[in-house]
Amino acid sequence: MEELMDQMKEKAGLVQAVVSIVSSMEEVLHRAVDITLGQGGKTIAAPGLAPESLKRLEDLCKAARLTVLSPPFRSHLSGIHTALTHADWAIAETGTLVLDSNSEDLRIATMLSETHMAFLPVSRIVPDAPALSAWLVEKMKSGAGYLSFITGASRTADIELVLATGVHGPQELHILMMEET
Amino acid sequence: MIQTAKDMKTYRKKIKAALKNKFLRKALDNFASAYKVSRAKAFEGIDLDALKDEIAQGKDEALTQIESLFLRFKAGAEAAGAIVHLAKTAEEANEIIAKIGKDNGVKTMVKSKSMTAEETHLNDLLEARGFTVTETDLGEWIIQLRHEGPSHMVMPAIHLSRWQVGTLFSDVTKKPVDLEDIDRMVKVARKELRLAFLTADMGISGANLAIAETGTLGIISNEGNARLTTTLPRVHVALVGLEKLVPDLAAALRIIKILPKNATGQALTSYVTWITGAVECGASATGKKILRIVFLDNGRLELARDPVFSEAIRCIRCGACSNVCPVYGKVGGHTLGHVYIGAIGLILTYFYHGKDNARAIVKNCLNCQACKSVCPVNIDLPFLIKKVYANILKDEGKKPAKNTVLSAVMKNRRLFHTLLRMASALQKPLVQKDTGVLRHLPFIFGKSHDFRTLPALAKTPFRDQWPALRPRIQNPRFRVALFGGCVVDFVSPEQAIALVRLLSAHKVQMEYPLGQSCCGLPAMMMAEEETAAEVAVQNLEALEPWRYDYILVLCASCGSHMKEGYSRLLAGKPKQAGKLHQLQDKLMDFSSFMVNVLKVKPEDFIQNQRRTAYHSPCHLCRGLGVTQEPRELLRTVGLDYAPCKDEDVCCGFGGSYSLEFPEISAEILGQKLDHVEAAGAEVLVTDCPGCVLQLRGGMNKRNSRIQVRHIAEIVADNLKTP
Repeated sequence: MEELMDQMKEKAGLVQAVVSIVSSMEEVLHRAVDITLGQGGKTIAAPGLAPESLKRLEDLCKAARLTVLSPPFRSHLSGIHTALTHADWAIAETGTLVLDSNSEDLRIATMLSETHMAFLPVSRIVPDAPALSAWLVEKMKSGAGYLSFITGASRTADIELVLATGVHGPQELHILMMEET
Repeated sequence: MIQTAKDMKTYRKKIKAALKNKFLRKALDNFASAYKVSRAKAFEGIDLDALKDEIAQGKDEALTQIESLFLRFKAGAEAAGAIVHLAKTAEEANEIIAKIGKDNGVKTMVKSKSMTAEETHLNDLLEARGFTVTETDLGEWIIQLRHEGPSHMVMPAIHLSRWQVGTLFSDVTKKPVDLEDIDRMVKVARKELRLAFLTADMGISGANLAIAETGTLGIISNEGNARLTTTLPRVHVALVGLEKLVPDLAAALRIIKILPKNATGQALTSYVTWITGAVECGASATGKKILRIVFLDNGRLELARDPVFSEAIRCIRCGACSNVCPVYGKVGGHTLGHVYIGAIGLILTYFYHGKDNARAIVKNCLNCQACKSVCPVNIDLPFLIKKVYANILKDEGKKPAKNTVLSAVMKNRRLFHTLLRMASALQKPLVQKDTGVLRHLPFIFGKSHDFRTLPALAKTPFRDQWPALRPRIQNPRFRVALFGGCVVDFVSPEQAIALVRLLSAHKVQMEYPLGQSCCGLPAMMMAEEETAAEVAVQNLEALEPWRYDYILVLCASCGSHMKEGYSRLLAGKPKQAGKLHQLQDKLMDFSSFMVNVLKVKPEDFIQNQRRTAYHSPCHLCRGLGVTQEPRELLRTVGLDYAPCKDEDVCCGFGGSYSLEFPEISAEILGQKLDHVEAAGAEVLVTDCPGCVLQLRGGMNKRNSRIQVRHIAEIVADNLKTP
């Protein structure tokens, strides 16, 4: 487990993702608020968050004068600063997050936000993509679906091969690995 | 729009113009250097050859069942709410897509990058039908605004400078743009294109993979535009080449594992998106995305059945064959391709865009094998390029006069050698006595050929000197035959004479079977396969390989052609199989023989530590796979081997290539010589007489003091005389 965590941290770091280790959901929510404030953002979209966590986030945001957006996020296409989502899996070999993105709200939040923050328990880190084959195939076989591998922030090198991040998707990707207590 | 030269005269003009573009050359050169490093790093710890074999084999299996894979895909995708079409031609695909737009009341469209849509010229038709189409990949958007085609399959705007892009953006946005600040330019695109995404009715994407088992599309992207294209608009149309079908997820993951690494040296793209069927979509009246998947045939099914060319559609569009191509590095993709670019482009253009567009560009291959060595699906690109050239000659029904003459002469060894002897006598007035090079080039060569001196033909070819030279060794350690090849025999016999000396000193009995002729590679380069096959048989008969322990070559090109090319040429001649195997088993390059068989020792050589640069001939390092032995040999025989940049990049000779495209050959050579000079070498060594000819000619023209020697010569120089 240590090893996978280290590898995940290293590989995600290589593609400019910011990786940190947290110990609780409470810490995740605080981070989301702090980072949003630090970047001068005003809004957080948190699709798929458990009701009690969402409630807690709303309280924290209220105190910090931030808005937690309510779905559907199609009505906020231009106004999402931070997307806070869980990730289903992480792939250590390439520093990749795997998200079942069937929900349109989740897609909009993770694609149109300025900063995407994703959290997952460290037990959900696998060594490589084939390790997820069974899960992926099952998803693909169960009707319409949209699955995403996300490795670092949106990037391009289309002008003079100079690397620039944030061309279409989020400009920053934060990965919060939750250690079980 | 894309304008590809349809005849050589126009093409030469285009090449000259491209060579004047200094920015382009520098950009491509920087990329080529960085690519090599990052690619190697990306594949660290991966058994690349095994992965390539596995993917190539999987692709071949998939291609034989492409129709059933399509039906499986269709069933899976349609069960999940998509509608799947199959278009026979490019026009049909475009019409289907335009109709989907019309039927759904679409006005505006956003598009993520798709080479397949470039292939069908989709935008042209959609715009003619009144749709507004916006490309959203940054590079594609830039070239759309400039009304040109991509110059690289992965990096479409690699030919443009930040100043060109900045000026373009400032024109489009009517706002000033800082011409140095690339980060800002990217943000301009983000802002402008975000607007297009938010208002588009339809998104058009390609797909890198289509998984038959589940009816799932796989799309890779770095910018995230493919995700937005497939999410925001209510209609999504994916245009997919039939060759993108794979049976299952495992096959798809294998391709994902190799594609970004081989394309740009990235471990994985920022995004990999897997879409199955019609997902939730708030912009659509039904709450479900309208998903249409249009598969494109456009000749693919026929190509998949072709016994020779089918391997071309294994291509996964990584663009690596451009990245490593020395010609691409000099002229760029607008000159080395039509829609598809680089080595694979020279092949696919013929099948997808017709012989008129392929006619000129297909000749622009050095046969240096660099593309073949990086191809992730083992396509023998240089071979197929020659095959396409042969097809075009056949289609057009008239061969260039030089082909007819070459074939007639080469099939008859005596005639060929008589003509060479006559030429040697006739050139006398042209030869500079002290240097042995031609004083001026014969009038048939224009000024563009003046980048190197050309050596005169030898006064006496090696074969005529041989009877007097032939040593008789008592109790020899080995008996070997030399296959000389035309250049050694008729231009540079001194290289063979050096070998005679070295072998005698090491108690090896050498023979020079006089029935041997040209190896036949020049005929292959001119797509004269039948002649090449005939010459191959003549050489097998002449060499009588069973008589010797080894057959040595001083020319890597002859060697690799005999080792690999002969198998293909003689596949239909089972009577030759035994001899051929013997020949191929016994064939060895000079350095490998000295190092691995004779195991030469430093004490037999004068250790003068001359600073020596090495050029690794294409057909030695890639053709025969020999890389370590020559370098080890240089050290053993007392030379100070000074590594220089890009030792394994072609010298630009390529046999008749340098006569067909002298300007490009000169550029490639110039860069090579610059690297050698930068290494501070006194002497440049290589193990192919063709490379010697090119490199020495170039150094002469520079009046450089750096000598160019065949490795056999310099090893013989340093041999201590008993």
